Amino acid sequence: MRLSGRVATAAAVLALLVGCGNDKSGPNPMVSAIGAMAKQGVAKVKAKKAEGGQPATKAATPAELRGQLEAAGKPVLLVSSKTLGQTGFLGISDAKGDVVTWRTPDGATFSQRNGVLIQTRGLGADLMSAQAPSVGQLMQPGTSYQRIYYFLGDDDQGTRRTYDCKTTIVGKESIDVLGRSFGATHVTELCERPLGKVTNDYWIEGSSIRQSRQWVSGAIGYIDFQRVID
Amino acid sequence: MQLSSRSLLASLALGTALSSAPALAEMSGSLNLNGATGLIDMPSGDAQDDATFSFSMGVVGPITRTTLSFQASERLSASFRFQTWRDWDTVIPGDEKETDRSIDLRYQVLKEGRIAPAVTIGLQDFTGKGQFSSEYVAATKTFGDKLKVTAGLGWGRLGSYGGIGTPFGDREPVDPLGTPNADQWFQGEAAPFAGVEYKINDNWTFKGEYSSDAYLLEDDTRGLIERDSPFNFGFEYQRGPNTRFGIYSLYGSEVGLAMHVILDPKSRVTGGVVGAAPVSVKARPARAADPEAYDGGWVTQADAGPILRENLAKRLAADGIAVENLAYTATTVQVRIRNGRIDAGSQAIGRTARALSHVMPASVEVFEIVPVVNGIGASKITIRRSDLEALEYTADNASLLRDRITVTDAGPTPAYSLGDEDLYPKFRWSLKPVLRLSEPMEGDVGLRLAATYDIAPGLVLSGSIYKQLASNRDAAGVSTSTLPHVRTDGSRYTEFGDPALERLTFAWYAHPAENVYSRVTVGYLERMHAGVSGEVLWKPVDSQLALGAELNYTKQRDTDGGLGFDEYDYDIVTGYVSAYYDFGNGYLGQLDVGRYLAGDVGATISLDRVFANGWRVGAFATVTDVSAGDFGDGGFDKGIRFTIPFNWALGTETRRGFGMTLRPESGDGGARVEVNDRLYESLREYHTDGLDPDWGRVWR
Repeated sequence: MRLSGRVATAAAVLALLVGCGNDKSGPNPMVSAIGAMAKQGVAKVKAKKAEGGQPATKAATPAELRGQLEAAGKPVLLVSSKTLGQTGFLGISDAKGDVVTWRTPDGATFSQRNGVLIQTRGLGADLMSAQAPSVGQLMQPGTSYQRIYYFLGDDDQGTRRTYDCKTTIVGKESIDVLGRSFGATHVTELCERPLGKVTNDYWIEGSSIRQSRQWVSGAIGYIDFQRVID
Repeated sequence: MQLSSRSLLASLALGTALSSAPALAEMSGSLNLNGATGLIDMPSGDAQDDATFSFSMGVVGPITRTTLSFQASERLSASFRFQTWRDWDTVIPGDEKETDRSIDLRYQVLKEGRIAPAVTIGLQDFTGKGQFSSEYVAATKTFGDKLKVTAGLGWGRLGSYGGIGTPFGDREPVDPLGTPNADQWFQGEAAPFAGVEYKINDNWTFKGEYSSDAYLLEDDTRGLIERDSPFNFGFEYQRGPNTRFGIYSLYGSEVGLAMHVILDPKSRVTGGVVGAAPVSVKARPARAADPEAYDGGWVTQADAGPILRENLAKRLAADGIAVENLAYTATTVQVRIRNGRIDAGSQAIGRTARALSHVMPASVEVFEIVPVVNGIGASKITIRRSDLEALEYTADNASLLRDRITVTDAGPTPAYSLGDEDLYPKFRWSLKPVLRLSEPMEGDVGLRLAATYDIAPGLVLSGSIYKQLASNRDAAGVSTSTLPHVRTDGSRYTEFGDPALERLTFAWYAHPAENVYSRVTVGYLERMHAGVSGEVLWKPVDSQLALGAELNYTKQRDTDGGLGFDEYDYDIVTGYVSAYYDFGNGYLGQLDVGRYLAGDVGATISLDRVFANGWRVGAFATVTDVSAGDFGDGGFDKGIRFTIPFNWALGTETRRGFGMTLRPESGDGGARVEVNDRLYESLREYHTDGLDPDWGRVWR
């Protein structure tokens, strides 16, 4: 392809411009940025090829995906951000007491305490820590409690947002999680402070969270979690 | 990643695109053609959001104004401006082009309230030749969320049209040049100006104003502009949070254009630092369940040390951290690290502590982490391993951990420590493109070949060679300075020294006693001067105050960038005593008193605002016993400097950045030899005043 050739040439010229040496104290940010640009260019070319040429291989059905994941025999969390159009199946990278940390292939992590999100890393605007309710607390509608989110704010200074929260039980619902349906109690957590509010949704099966939609930070917004394989 | 189905992962991988741009910032005030907060050509009572750093280009017919502005605090802002008048010889023969540099200061004395307007007092071009000088008081009131009305009173240029009298007496001509023109301020004819700003929608704004600037210099004297009307109007377009464009009808005859790049040093463009998550802290088995794991007998094993060091080095290499030394007992480990990449000291410490939790046997309870800068231990951060384990997932873990750690003097390297044979001696080199600017649109690009040879901790041989590839600088002029030409031949060094040996030095850094650090640098220190430079610094790790002394003996180098000293036959002993003070909230002050390169004696005062992410904007002024006349047009040495870190723009972990120092006029007075890696800045990052502002990144 002429375009991909051009992208490669441009990347090579730019790579020369950003310099060379054996001083490997860190990756050259310019090189990484250019690398990412070049990759994007190549990806676009590939996408065009696919459009014009053979139809892309048919996507696997949810049931087929579930089959593949179950065969692997490891816990899986499906994470998706609707606003950003990103979805991924995550495996466990650390489990300590009631906290489980899930890691994406490119190194972002989500830590949950019994399914309630308490930390993220590698997203940019991360949730650094949180004072969050337990599942038991979520299942007690009407009682109010405090929730605190801790972030790195302006110039990486520690900041916090404190909310007063209450839950309501919406009711029993049947939810579909990658080709299998589960019966769960839908609980809504409404958290308010003078400057705004946050609404988290949980679908609780027994005493564990099967599915949830939880707020991460101002810039990231809400993320959907589904526990696909226990 | 633990899933077996790789194709599945590839097709559904969660990208780093999960991070998103910050929300559009609400602008407190907009910028005018002069790069100052205001209307079109007139100022207003508004201020920018705290810490806003902006780059503006305004075109008024044949006049171009390029301005850097910084909102130094919520109320105080400053600007540095390059102004060019083309067709300067239209009426009076002479140069075709006139250039001028000017500095402004603005202070918002009153913030806008429910009834009270915002009121700002400004000094424009308050130290220069006076071609752009004026003073003003401007008030701005917002009505609803769309309309702003401004009214003000100006003196100087802003009092030159429609005057109402001279309330504070006549305005004398500027004399001497380059010093604050305090005799002129608010003197002479005063004239009112006014304007409106109407926000049509989120992107578009209409502005209209009545200008009190008669453009006497451009219209009456030089015939560059026909000023037919005092009324200006036009539209501005805001594109995202960082750029704004304006097009205006000016003075009934000219078209004006403006472009602004508006940056917020406090918020990364990427919304937060990206980069992979850290490894989790490794939990030790409970002592009751597995008492054998806590047995300290492993310390007697001969091969334990090298294995531990190697395992640690392997883990930390992923974060760009090198292990200089490892020393341990059954209960304590001290690791000396060199952080090559992570921009926050606290994050480098957190990553090291996490790695130690994986590597060290369970009996080791105390982690001592010593960041090493130029071979010197900068400080010692002591973390209890059980705190690290207990707080990993606790709410507000950053503050809780900070309360439980200690930051102390690094002390000497433990005698029984294990160094890394691969780190010393070590040769490193790089070839990189460089942009050297003398003003925003003038300078050269070239290649810099740099090499460093780390002989032993604290002993460094290094040098660099620069070759120009392209330049748009004017040919070197002849300096008319009556002082020794220690700086004013700079353009000759640029022109004749191509390629040039910029630096070739041998440096020795040491930490001879508690709180005391030293440096000796010998060789070709900078492109104009070579010799010996010695420095001693006293700085306790948790002190806001630091004291230093420096003594240099230098000879002036030839302009050809070679090794010779034949051209000038100039050598001098210079020296300073310095006090550094951290005022908190990122404001750093420094006072140096001593003898400067031209043999002049005086003092330099500087104030910088530094941000945890590496942004830095500051101003400095040096007054010496050189008379304003001998110094030249500038009167005395002064200027601004700034550094923009790449990590702020790209979100990636990197310690590099782009920096610039700008002076309205350069002279030979108040000049100081440039030496790499002076002590204060290199150590501050790992002292409490450098670690604490972004301490939260210890868990990042």
